[in-house]
Amino acid sequence: MELYRMTAAELSRMLAEKKVSSKEITQSVLARIADNDRKIKAYLTVDAEGALRQAETVDKKRMKGEALPPLAGIPVAIKDNICTRGLRTTCASRMLENFVPPYDATVIQKLKAAGVVFPGKLNMDEFAMGSSTENSYFQVTCNPFDTDRVPGGSSGGSAAAVAACETIAALGSDTGGSIRQPASFCGIVGLKPTYGAVSRYGLVAFASSLDQIGPMARSVADTAMLCDVIFGKDSHDTTSADRGYPSFAEALRPEVKGLKIGIPKEYFSDGISEAVKEAVMRAAKEYQKMGAELVEISLPSTDYALAAYYIIASAEASSNLARFDGVKYGHRSENYGSLEELYENSRSEGFGPEVKRRIMLGTYVLSSGYYDAYYKKAKFTQLMIQERFKQAFAACDLILTPTTPDTAFKIGENIGDQIKMYMNDILTVTVNIAGLPAISIPCAFDSKGLPIGAQLIGAKFSEQILLNAAAALEKQLGGFGRCAALA
Amino acid sequence: MDMDLKRLAKLSRLKFTPEEEARYQAEMERIVAMVEKLPDLDASGPLIDPDNPMSMREDKSERLFSRDELLKNAPEVQAGCVVVPRTVE
Repeated sequence: MELYRMTAAELSRMLAEKKVSSKEITQSVLARIADNDRKIKAYLTVDAEGALRQAETVDKKRMKGEALPPLAGIPVAIKDNICTRGLRTTCASRMLENFVPPYDATVIQKLKAAGVVFPGKLNMDEFAMGSSTENSYFQVTCNPFDTDRVPGGSSGGSAAAVAACETIAALGSDTGGSIRQPASFCGIVGLKPTYGAVSRYGLVAFASSLDQIGPMARSVADTAMLCDVIFGKDSHDTTSADRGYPSFAEALRPEVKGLKIGIPKEYFSDGISEAVKEAVMRAAKEYQKMGAELVEISLPSTDYALAAYYIIASAEASSNLARFDGVKYGHRSENYGSLEELYENSRSEGFGPEVKRRIMLGTYVLSSGYYDAYYKKAKFTQLMIQERFKQAFAACDLILTPTTPDTAFKIGENIGDQIKMYMNDILTVTVNIAGLPAISIPCAFDSKGLPIGAQLIGAKFSEQILLNAAAALEKQLGGFGRCAALA
Repeated sequence: MDMDLKRLAKLSRLKFTPEEEARYQAEMERIVAMVEKLPDLDASGPLIDPDNPMSMREDKSERLFSRDELLKNAPEVQAGCVVVPRTVE
């Protein structure tokens, strides 16, 4: 098998046994990108030179007999809203087209310390706002399963690159489903960690109280290996949780025996396609066969969560994106007389339509006279949702739902209809609103051959249970590469 | 709904052509109608997460960046300063 098709766990073993070098793996991935990315368009920046240099450094250390971490020498590509020192970070926006960060995000520092190789930066919806990656200023990424379809979003470049074997694994970010929805559309694993588990320092802020960076990979074991590196307290992020984490990868056991899995009826409503509902219920039956108990539970209406999400996320976005003023960094209009005009013209030229809509929605819900009717109400709805999840976790250990209402849609199909596009997030936003961890795993294909994702939601900091349950289904299906077996 | 798009654009420091204005007005009204689907809750309580108390790091200055490095991303620089239009008459 070609090296670029293998998992991080497989390559890690081969590297340790000196059966392969990091340079060979990196060359294999770079050749795959050169060959295949014309079609997929997942990468915004490919750093071949930097990646090969990093690979050679790791190889030299290994030759000298240094003990290296498990991910040393393995290529991991990065969503383009995570700052990489000296490597352009655009957020897929004209606003940051030429922005070269003077620092590394904490997750990048950690991956560098672990010896990871960085092949490049991945496409996304502008400032992570969107569910199809069509909101990128630069290019539209295609779904590797059907290039007429979207890869999902906003981490669509990450999902497509992992699925198309143009990297071994990737980092994405998830504010309302931006890791899980594209993972579902592209048939890979994507984990949104508990809020506070991963430092947000160096992640270009969209909605600070909801944003989390997380891993995207072709196996659960690889996902766990990435969690081991990126989780942890960071003094540069006040909201990062002060706790330690044992190795998820070492503790990974594909087991669900004795677990209670909650099935919330609100997440299997009329808006969800029959194929998706059936596939996820089949996955539930597989869990039952493996010794888990299924329990019916009830959660608040998904409509409430979606409304609260768009209010809170847009309010925070309007405030976070106020920093882009054409002064210190980012796009500056050539056409201005006054300072006011410099702001307005730089922002109007630098931001795309979806970013403008969210800034205006946020400004609206925070403006005098509307704050109580929207923002305050949304925050109370958030409290209610958090409370209901707490009650749900008194009756079950984890919750199983579909990740998305349907499989990947066609490029251009939803771009003119914002409400239809927002409905893509209806099953994922609740998790962010409640600050919980969740993982999307492929569980079947629909009649068109498109992947269907199942979402497992856990209580705060229950990532190990989620990973174990995800690994159990992966094992039962004979690996996610062959998940068609279940269909 | 009483959405004044012009005022909203002004507060957001954004500018629209008349054609764009009409389109955004229609889109924003639909979006606001969607986010109005919120329950009437008679709730109160702290709006911060009690499970995740935040801690501040020590208030100590650290030199993390050099001035030159930071100014590399500025659109216009003169004598180590960012250039902006005249703000004081």
